[in-house]
Amino acid sequence: MRFMMLMIPLGYESAPPDVQLDPERFAAMMRYNEALKDAGVLITLDGLHPPSMGARVSFAGGKPAVTDGPFAEAKEVLGGYWMIEVASRNEAIAWARQCPASENEIIEIRQVQEMADFSEEVQQAAAGFSELPHAGRV
Amino acid sequence: MRFMVIVKATSDTEAGILPSTEEFAAMGRFNEELVKAGMMEAGEGLHPTAKGARIDFSDGEARVARGPFDFSRDLAAGFWMIKASSLDEVIQHMKRAPFPSGEIEIRQVYAAEDFGEAFEPRLREKEERLRAQAAKS
Repeated sequence: MRFMMLMIPLGYESAPPDVQLDPERFAAMMRYNEALKDAGVLITLDGLHPPSMGARVSFAGGKPAVTDGPFAEAKEVLGGYWMIEVASRNEAIAWARQCPASENEIIEIRQVQEMADFSEEVQQAAAGFSELPHAGRV
Repeated sequence: MRFMVIVKATSDTEAGILPSTEEFAAMGRFNEELVKAGMMEAGEGLHPTAKGARIDFSDGEARVARGPFDFSRDLAAGFWMIKASSLDEVIQHMKRAPFPSGEIEIRQVYAAEDFGEAFEPRLREKEERLRAQAAKS
């Protein structure tokens, strides 16, 4: 099963575009990433620039409206993610608990949808399209 | 440049209501356009937070809470990884996504050269090796 570990650093919602990383924390995170890789569970990972460099597109009312970051109303934003392949949610939780996270950080675990999770009708509709790229299926 | 387009959860996605066949087909056509434009790296949907968990590190220990979670917190329901030359290019494409309602958030992904001194050459080499191996497995 594929799971996403979503890193939610509280306070990142108002981080400036040129936010600096602590080299020591960075190295600790690299060691954790290596442990995930050595265990054969890591599919991919990415870090995200602060929301002050991003944008939101809202489709409410049927017409797309663009707002530039930072997003004043945001309580939590994503700082990055890991995509992992493990046998169960409990295994994903066990990996997340080992993360050298700071006290302001939360990791959310979410299972990734596979085609088999959809109805037969939807699967047939999808068969009409060429295979789309998925993380971890090269 | 690489971007992550985060699709926000709605009461429907959190209730586990899957898109209709028509909505699914419309999204399939949109995805095919992204692929043909050479922009799409990956696209995934996530199961509702009811099937998820959160690990909170605030007390110096890793406390686990099971979902569902309050979706006023900007929960995610899915995402695309997109290659583009600017944020504006991503916005222009994503405005045409077949969403009847809801919201998406577009965020630039860090590349090794963004990290400056924190990312010393030895670490950079490790990171590149790690990515290459993860992609192969």
